[in-house]
Amino acid sequence: MDTWFGEVEISDEGEIEKCNLSSRDPKELAERIHQIQKKGTAFRAGIELREIAFQCGFVDNDSEYLSLLQEACVEAARQSIKESYTPDLPIIHAVGVIDDIDEAVNLLAERLSVWYGDHFPELGLKTSDLASFVESKGLRNDMSPDDSFYVLTENSMGCPMGEKEGLILKAFAGDILALYERRSSLEQYIRDNMEDVAANLCHLAGPLLGARLISMAGSLKKLASLPSSTIQVMGANNALFKHLRSKAPSPKHGIIFNHPLVKGSSPRNRGKIARALAAKISLAARIDAFSGEFRPFLKDELEKKVASIESRQEKKRKGVGK
Amino acid sequence: MKVQELSGGVYEIKGGRKKQIATRNLVPGNIVYGERTIEDESVEYRVWNPRRSKLGAMAIRKFQMPFSKDSRVLYLGAASGTTVSHVSDMVPEGVVYAVEFAPTTMRQLLRLCDVRKNIVPLLADASRPVSYAHVVEPVDVIFQDVAQPNQAEIAVDNARQYLKKGGNLLLSIKARSVDSTAVPEKIFKEQLKILSAAQGIKLKILKKQNLSPFHIDHMGIVAQRIG
Ligand SMILES: C[S@@+](CC[C@H](N)C(=O)[O-])C[C@H]1O[C@@H](n2cnc3c(N)ncnc32)[C@H](O)[C@@H]1O
Repeated sequence: MDTWFGEVEISDEGEIEKCNLSSRDPKELAERIHQIQKKGTAFRAGIELREIAFQCGFVDNDSEYLSLLQEACVEAARQSIKESYTPDLPIIHAVGVIDDIDEAVNLLAERLSVWYGDHFPELGLKTSDLASFVESKGLRNDMSPDDSFYVLTENSMGCPMGEKEGLILKAFAGDILALYERRSSLEQYIRDNMEDVAANLCHLAGPLLGARLISMAGSLKKLASLPSSTIQVMGANNALFKHLRSKAPSPKHGIIFNHPLVKGSSPRNRGKIARALAAKISLAARIDAFSGEFRPFLKDELEKKVASIESRQEKKRKGVGK
Repeated sequence: MKVQELSGGVYEIKGGRKKQIATRNLVPGNIVYGERTIEDESVEYRVWNPRRSKLGAMAIRKFQMPFSKDSRVLYLGAASGTTVSHVSDMVPEGVVYAVEFAPTTMRQLLRLCDVRKNIVPLLADASRPVSYAHVVEPVDVIFQDVAQPNQAEIAVDNARQYLKKGGNLLLSIKARSVDSTAVPEKIFKEQLKILSAAQGIKLKILKKQNLSPFHIDHMGIVAQRIG
């Protein structure tokens, strides 16, 4: 029996037959606990370990027992945490940052649009276009007559704005632009790294969709353990919830709707194609999570399947027409 | 101000019109999650907010708290340690085996373990009780707050393997974790049935109560192991 303080053998009568004690060094004990946990060797739970530790002479009293155990378990937990970081983690964080940026940048761009709108309501630009306009051109008065937007400044109903405000708005627009740029660099990061993290998923679903699926599931491993029917509706949470609650029709596709094969299919086939895609994604995630071997034919198979769904539909349609 | 022990290390503090519960701070001067402290006759108490803790809600609902100074406790679903810290207060000479399976959450719990030496952290899955058999001894109390679909089964499995006869199982059942569409009352009934019909262990339900308005669709349960 592998206890945290050593190997112990107990007879059926409850006599200690052997105890092979570990050293009392907390670091070594921690390593021992960590190894036992990793191996997953188990014995009958609920043994009076403390009694055994006393009888084997590992420690003399409760407080000694507890302080050694506590220190060792803290250290063992640190070890396990260290080993729990998986390569999909930075991808998941990157997706998280993109979502945070989207939320923040929408708010900020809206604010810029309202404030700058007081000055130049005729402009009609939004989001990143507006931000880059304000950042480079500044206020109405700063614009040169050659500018294509110049005509709009004539007879503007906007209020005049001072230099101070102009500087603030320009700088603010610059901040917003920087966020848009950060967002693209994160997407680029995902494109560059998804292949190493989940080659099959990346090949099949594309890096960005693949990354989002991992992030929604919580990890590549969790994605791999989901049934494909769940993968099919992931991201359709609101629709799914409504379906469960009120017997509304079940949602056919969640975010995998964004896959070109689903998007490009005829609307009648979308459900079927989404189902086929989800099944393949699930398979791809499993291969990535458990063997890592690259199997490019997964995508070929999917494309064939999609083609056959579409052509079956086509035949049916023609058949009806006869 | 009037301080009175309700049960097992839980104190009721009355001051003016206010009534609060609190535990006696094991590490005076040190707070855990921004909770308020109150001093009375040079003893520091940490106020326990029932909205932030299912066990706290159970305490305020006059559930008998089965802790004593030297209790051994198995705590399943420790999270970052909000409630664990109060349990740690209640068993100053005992031990809390705190099981949590999410590594990021465990990171925060470890900070607590640095100051509170009666918390033994275990990064493990509560639905596999044998996975901590090399560390956990038979215990006087099990408290569980895992919010999982199979929460009653997890509780039974752990109780069967670790709870001493006569010991208590305190349990928070979250209806939404089992089924987000069914009526909570129906789920509570089913979960209670799993507890009382469990194989290889006899659990007697001592008290059960809905924890609203502190926690919506949660039920607190105390059961005693009688066989
Ligand atoms: C509702 S929170 C607990 C809150 C905590 N009891 C408190 O009041 O401070 C549930 C926690 O249980 C953990 N958990 C869920 N299932 C678990 C399992 N099978 N094993 C261990 N921990 C689990 C979750 O990671 C989460 O941190």
